[in-house]
Amino acid sequence: MFGRKGSKKGNYAFAAAKVKAKKASLIGNDEYSKMLMMNLPEISRFIAESGYQKEMEELAGRIEGIDLIEHATYKNMARTFSGILHVMQGELRYMVSSYLTKWDLWNIKVILRGKTYGADAESIKEDLVPAGKLDDEMLEKLLSLETDKEMIAEFGRMKHLEIPPEVINTYKADGHLRSIEDYLDKLYYKKLLMSIDPSSRPKRLFQDYVRREIDTVNLETILVLKMEGIRGDDVMEYIIPGGKQIDKKLATQLANAETISAAANDLAQLDFYDDIKEALDAGTGSLRDLVAGMRKYHMRQAKKFSHLYPLSVIPVLDFMIHKNIEVDNIRIIARGIESGIDREVIKGLLVI
Amino acid sequence: MAVESVGAGLIAVGAGLAVGLAGIGTGLGQQDVGAAAVGAITEDMSLFGKCIVLIVLPETIVIFGLVVAILCMFVLPGMAS
Repeated sequence: MFGRKGSKKGNYAFAAAKVKAKKASLIGNDEYSKMLMMNLPEISRFIAESGYQKEMEELAGRIEGIDLIEHATYKNMARTFSGILHVMQGELRYMVSSYLTKWDLWNIKVILRGKTYGADAESIKEDLVPAGKLDDEMLEKLLSLETDKEMIAEFGRMKHLEIPPEVINTYKADGHLRSIEDYLDKLYYKKLLMSIDPSSRPKRLFQDYVRREIDTVNLETILVLKMEGIRGDDVMEYIIPGGKQIDKKLATQLANAETISAAANDLAQLDFYDDIKEALDAGTGSLRDLVAGMRKYHMRQAKKFSHLYPLSVIPVLDFMIHKNIEVDNIRIIARGIESGIDREVIKGLLVI
Repeated sequence: MAVESVGAGLIAVGAGLAVGLAGIGTGLGQQDVGAAAVGAITEDMSLFGKCIVLIVLPETIVIFGLVVAILCMFVLPGMAS
């Protein structure tokens, strides 16, 4: 009766209040419209005033313009996520750290791709988001390795990201990173689902959210491969198990369909069909609209359940989704304005 | 005489329980409220005033306990006599 709840179950009250206070300081939807009217230096100044000042000042001496905005936002996100993970305890920390492993995967993919294509360590480092279990020291170690082969050997020594020899052999045989990347994606979702104990309603909501995320990743994979003319079992190889609505049967139907339009009936049964309908009707060149549609659906889902269970993992998840979306929106606006893209097109890509 | 002492003892036990149990209830309530308040204050210092009010709210329970204990100690013996 008198045992400290925080030690094993997690310090939900502290963490939830902290992330809610952080969420209140995120950039509001109206402010994105103002940002669309700004030029790059104005955007830099605006985001510096909106919580990114420390990172902007740290990086301002070395880089400028669009690079400064992109790197400062990533650095800020990594710092924010590491900061909230640092104060969490018990099962809450375990679940959130499993969720944040996706940034380890991101970092590993960035380093592997960079090494494969011969990019220098400095430029690879600029795209890293050290928000997961791989800390700066470990990332520096990976970056210092000369080739992708040495990196893969290093993976063998990592506990939470072990790559089995057959996957490494496949990579060595065909030289394509996709076998390793595909394996890492599947491993991430498998471990994440295992880390959630669905014994209470909020944890089941978290599990459902992850399973819906798997659905969107799988659908994106199917559509990308379909656009490249790949169908059937070749597609099924890349499908991540554990999806909520796209089970193996539906995935097979979608993978075997001749065109995306032919699969429309199958897609119509999905919850997020309304969000992607427009992009699907527009034709094959609208994958980015499709992804934006799915992300909007995710955010709506997160908003829907974020107020239901204040003392649970849900507010933390909700904050992480919103922070990630904020960073993506800032980058989309900055990159779009830099490239001279029409403001209405940029607005359509934002998740608000 | 012996019956009176047992009665006085039981009243004292009742008063102790009233304050003690109310204190435990307050503690359980304040555990989460306090942790949440500290979490919010670390992010936004301007929330300090609001948080203090929220932290103090569960204290009312222990005040109810104290009132019951005072009634037990000072009113009940008079009623019995």
